[in-house]
Amino acid sequence: MMDIAIYSLVDDMVSKAGTEGVVEYWLRVGESYAERMGKEAYVGWPAFNVAMKEGRTSLTVEGEVNVLTDLAIIDKDGDVIGYVYALKTCPMAPTMRRYISRIGPIPDSDTDVADSYNNRIRDSAVSNYCITHQKFREVAANNITVAKQALECLQLANKGMTGDVKMVPENLARINVDERHIKSILRSASCVFALIVKGKSAGEEIIE
Amino acid sequence: MAENIESNPFVDVSVYLFFEDISDKQGVEGFTNYMVGQAQSLAKSVPEEEYETWDDFASAVVSGESVFSSFESIEQISKCGFVTNICPFSKAIGEYIKRIGNFNPVHIEATDHYNHTIQPSAAHSACMMHQTYRREVAKRITVGGKPLQYAQIGAKAYTGEIALPPESWKKVLLEKAGISETQGFMEMRENSCLYLLYVEG
Repeated sequence: MMDIAIYSLVDDMVSKAGTEGVVEYWLRVGESYAERMGKEAYVGWPAFNVAMKEGRTSLTVEGEVNVLTDLAIIDKDGDVIGYVYALKTCPMAPTMRRYISRIGPIPDSDTDVADSYNNRIRDSAVSNYCITHQKFREVAANNITVAKQALECLQLANKGMTGDVKMVPENLARINVDERHIKSILRSASCVFALIVKGKSAGEEIIE
Repeated sequence: MAENIESNPFVDVSVYLFFEDISDKQGVEGFTNYMVGQAQSLAKSVPEEEYETWDDFASAVVSGESVFSSFESIEQISKCGFVTNICPFSKAIGEYIKRIGNFNPVHIEATDHYNHTIQPSAAHSACMMHQTYRREVAKRITVGGKPLQYAQIGAKAYTGEIALPPESWKKVLLEKAGISETQGFMEMRENSCLYLLYVEG
């Protein structure tokens, strides 16, 4: 029942704090959720990918993830710097289905909050919940090391309940993966992301 | 019985954290107000229902066909006495503890605030949402043309603590439910929530 509360809570919050206020709340929730999960260290990519497949990492608390080991991301020196992963089912999907079946249509505030995020921060949310979910992944990834190197999560694409798709072109370019390839992965997944060594890219290294 | 769609605990836990974030900004009172307010909004969104007889209503509730039992499995123990065996928040509470650890103390503070300012019936912060939802959704149901009334008798927290009304209320409520105090305790051993549903007159 707790999950169902999201829609009425967001509706209430929008009327009191505005869509921007709700975006800020969701960003903080994603951050604190990930921070409270703690840190993890893996000796190398094979160990990390096994943990992802078995659902043992903080990143897999959201649901089952396909580890696309055929999509290794390689830097200019030919070293593997990360992989692409696909979340099979959006964690919000059961809540949406339940809300629609028991209560009615999803309130407009869901889209309003997502639009506020898309217009101001990054055009990658298909529902208001994507805001906290994507932030959670980004912060959780920073708390994981593979071969003593911190990770970075790059949101690549996601698909909404009605089939609308959001792509993040700058992240696709950074790992040098074609948009059509990601779309084909989205046929059997709801969210696609890459985990790479922080600061690296398929081309030149990014210096922060 | 309606299809039971299980929520993803990832979402459940994040909602608890959302409320905690609200309490950081607006204190325990803000936490309580938001929890109560959103349960009121949620209840106002559900379709209205009308039943000709009490038996029709009770049967719809027990079979999960009424909006009153949208989120929980309810049993009837007497004409007006009803119980919920498993708290619909127990999974989310368990996942929070498993993933994050001890509950943030603000949940206890908010529960106390609710018990002192609204009514002494909550065993956990989630009870504030649940009981408000029940109270508001009852207003959307009529039985024989009369509005349904709801009163909480007992609620059990995941720690085993039971929230009960003051002695004077408890006696009246149990009497109206048609169960003795001993029966009430027996029910609370087996169930998470005991309450009264009735129509006036």
